[in-house]
Amino acid sequence: MDLIKIIENTLRASIGVDAIYFAIAALGLNIHFGYTGMLNFGQAAFMACGSYGLGMTAQYFGVGLWWGIPLGIFFVIILALIVGIPTLRLRADYLAIVTIATAEIVRLFVRSVKLKRLFGGTDGITNFSRQYRELSPFNPSKKYGFGPFTYTGYSLYTIIIGWVLVGIFSLFTWQLMRSPWGRVVKGIREDEDAVRSLGKNVYAYKMQALVIGGVIGMFAGMVLALDRGSVQPDNYSRMVTFYILTALVLGGLAKVAGSVVGSMLFWLLFVFSDNVLREITRNGPLRIGDFTVIQSTQVGAVNYMFVGIGLMLLIVFRPQGLFGNRQEMALDGR
Amino acid sequence: MLKRSGPDVGHIWLKVLLAVICSIVAGLGLASSSASAADEGEFFIIASVQNQLLVNDVPERTPVAGATIKVTTVDGMLIGEGITGADGLCKIAVPTRDNYLIDIDTSSLPNGLTLIDAAKAQVKVDQGLFTTNTKRVTFFTGDSGIAGSTELERILQRLTDGIRLGIIIAMCSVGLSLIIGTTGLTNFAHGEMVTFGALVAFFFNVYLDIPILICGPLVILLGGCFGLLINWGIFARLTKRGIGSNSQLVVSLGLSLMLINFYLFLFGGRTKQLTSFSKQVNLEIGPIGITPRDLTTAILGVIILLSIAFSLQKSRLGKAIRAVSDNVQLASATGIDTQKVIRIVWFAGGALAATGGIFRGLDEQVSFSMGSDLIFLMFAGITLGGLGSAYGALVGGFFIGIFVEMSSLFFPSELKVAPALFILILVLIIRPQGIFGRSQRVG
Repeated sequence: MDLIKIIENTLRASIGVDAIYFAIAALGLNIHFGYTGMLNFGQAAFMACGSYGLGMTAQYFGVGLWWGIPLGIFFVIILALIVGIPTLRLRADYLAIVTIATAEIVRLFVRSVKLKRLFGGTDGITNFSRQYRELSPFNPSKKYGFGPFTYTGYSLYTIIIGWVLVGIFSLFTWQLMRSPWGRVVKGIREDEDAVRSLGKNVYAYKMQALVIGGVIGMFAGMVLALDRGSVQPDNYSRMVTFYILTALVLGGLAKVAGSVVGSMLFWLLFVFSDNVLREITRNGPLRIGDFTVIQSTQVGAVNYMFVGIGLMLLIVFRPQGLFGNRQEMALDGR
Repeated sequence: MLKRSGPDVGHIWLKVLLAVICSIVAGLGLASSSASAADEGEFFIIASVQNQLLVNDVPERTPVAGATIKVTTVDGMLIGEGITGADGLCKIAVPTRDNYLIDIDTSSLPNGLTLIDAAKAQVKVDQGLFTTNTKRVTFFTGDSGIAGSTELERILQRLTDGIRLGIIIAMCSVGLSLIIGTTGLTNFAHGEMVTFGALVAFFFNVYLDIPILICGPLVILLGGCFGLLINWGIFARLTKRGIGSNSQLVVSLGLSLMLINFYLFLFGGRTKQLTSFSKQVNLEIGPIGITPRDLTTAILGVIILLSIAFSLQKSRLGKAIRAVSDNVQLASATGIDTQKVIRIVWFAGGALAATGGIFRGLDEQVSFSMGSDLIFLMFAGITLGGLGSAYGALVGGFFIGIFVEMSSLFFPSELKVAPALFILILVLIIRPQGIFGRSQRVG
C-alpha cells in the first residue's frame, strides 16, 4: 500500500478546486442555514444558476464572460422567488421540501432533450472558458508548486482565483453578520415572532438572505464550471447539496471559518477514504472466505455511505461541528 | 418517566441498526457478486430497445427497460436471453460469429408499448455483419403515431397508468404523512423505505425463487419491522435526547444518503426485474390495454387503501392515531399511549412503503433509487392533502399520481415530475394547509 501517495493526494485535495467550490457554496448555505435558520436543500440549483449563466453568455450571447455574473444573479433571483414566495411564510420544513424538489427539477430541465438547444442536454455546455483561460498568467501545461502541492498551471490559476473568492466571501459574510442586517437575520433564527413584533419585515429579510446566500452559491458553480471547462447537469444533483451540508455541519454552523475549514476537512477525509478503499480493491475484490466484502466498483457507494453516516453522527453528537457554538447551533431555535 | 440514554448507548444503537440491516440483505450482496459471470465470452449481440415519440415531427427516443430479448440460431436453438436495463440495452454473449435470429418478446414490453413495425419483432443477423466483436440491433417501439390509437384511447391509457401510480403514491404517502403528524419529523428517508420493500422482494423472488404472492406478506412484515427499527434505533432516541424536529430532518437526510448508497453497494446501479409475472399478455378491456398483473395490483391496491381509510375512521386504534396526529399533548392527556401510537405508525408506514415498493417493482423495475425518485411525488401529494393528515395523503397522493401521468400527454415524459412541483408550489401559495388540513397561523 502506497501510504505516501495517499497522503499526498489527500493533502492536495484539501486545498484543491473541489474544496474551494464546496467552501464557497458552504458560505452561501451558511447564510441560509446557519445564520437565518432556513432549511435550504437546493444549494446545487443555485450553483447551477452560476454555471449555466456563465456557459450561456459565452455560448449563445457571444458577449464577454463577465456578463455571466449578472445573468447568473438574474437566474438566482428567479429561483429564490420561486422557492421563497410560497414557503418563507410557512414552517421551516416546507422550504426544505420545495428547495429539494426544485433543485431536482432544475437539473431535469437543463438536462432534458426538449431544451437541448438552450442548455445542451446531458452533454451540458462546453468551450466557453477560452477568455478565462487566456487571462491565465501561468503556462497551462507546466507544473507548479512543491511536494504534494504540485498543480498544472491551469489548475493553479483556478485555485488562486478560487481562494481569493473564498477570502472575499468570508470577509463579506463576517462583516454582513456584524451589521444591523445580520443581527436581524440572526434574530429571525432565534425567534421569528420576537423580530416581527419589533416591526421588522421577516419575510423580506428571509428573501434577501435567500438571494444573498444563493448568489454566493452561484459563484461556487462558476468556479466549478471554469475549472472543469464545461457545465454538466449531473454535477448539480441533490446529493451535492447534502455533501456541502455535511461539510458545513462538520466545520460548524453560523461560523465563517466553519464553512471553509469544514470543506477542506470534508475533502481531506473523503479523498483519504476513497484512496484507501481503491488501494485495497485495486488487485481484485477484498474477500473474507467466500464473502466479497467490497470490490472496486463499489468504492464510490461506500464512500458516500460514510458521508451519510457522518452527517447523522455529527447532528446527533456534535451539532456545533468543529468551531460552532452550541448555543448558536439553532436548527431548532424556536 | 422516560429514561435518558447516554451518548455511548446511542452510538451502539446506530451500529446495531447497521448490523441488522446488513444481516437482512447480506444474502443479496453475496449473490450479486457471483452474478456477473454472464458477461464472459468472445462475441456479443447488443440489443437496444428505444421508444420513439414524434414530437413536432422530430423523433424523440427514450430507452425502454424490461423488454425480453432472445437470441437463437437459425435452426431455432436458444443461445441466450436477456432483459434490457435502464439504458434500454441488453448484452447477450454468443459463442461465435454466426447467423442469429434476435427476437423481442413484444408481450414483455412495459406500459403496453408496441413495436412501430410489428413485422420487425425478429431481426436476422448475418455473420458478415460482425465487423467487430459486437453487433448492435435496435428495436423501435412507439405508442404514438400508430394507426388506430385515437386521442381518447391515449387519454384512457394514461388514466389507467395514472391510477396505478396514484395507488402506489397514496399508499406510500399515508405512512409519511402520519409520521409527520405524530412525531413532527419530515422523514426524507421514506423513499428508502419504499426501496427496501422492492429490494427484499427482489431478493426473495429472484434469488430464492419464491413467487411474489407468497413472499409478499413476509416482505411487507419486514418493511414494517424496518420502520420500527428506524424509529427505535434513531428517531425515538433523538426525541428522548430532546433533539428538535429540524435536526431530526437533517438526520433523516443523512439516513437517506446512507441507505441509498448502501442499496447501491448491495444491488449495483442497474435496474433489474422481478421474475414473477414478468411475461404478461395485455387484456383488452374496451380501448384500454392492461396486463392481468397490473389489474391485480390495482385491485389489491384499492382494497388496501380503502381498508386503511376504513380502519382510520372506525377502529379504536385509527381514532387514536388521528388524535395523536392532531395534537400530541391533548391526545396524551386523554390517556392515549402516544409512544405506542408512534411505534404503530412507524410499523404501518414501513409496511405500506414496502407494499408500495413491491407494487412499483412489479409495475416498472427494481433499482436502488426507485424510492427516492418517488419521494417528491409523495411530498407533493401530502402537501396537497395537508401535511400530517392521513386522508389528505390518500387523496392527494392518488391525485398526484393521476396528474403526473396525464400531464405526460402534453409534457415530455422526462420532465414528468415538474407538474407535481407546480402543484406543490401552487398549493403552498393558495392554501398552504392543504385540502384536509386545518388552517393555522404559521407566520
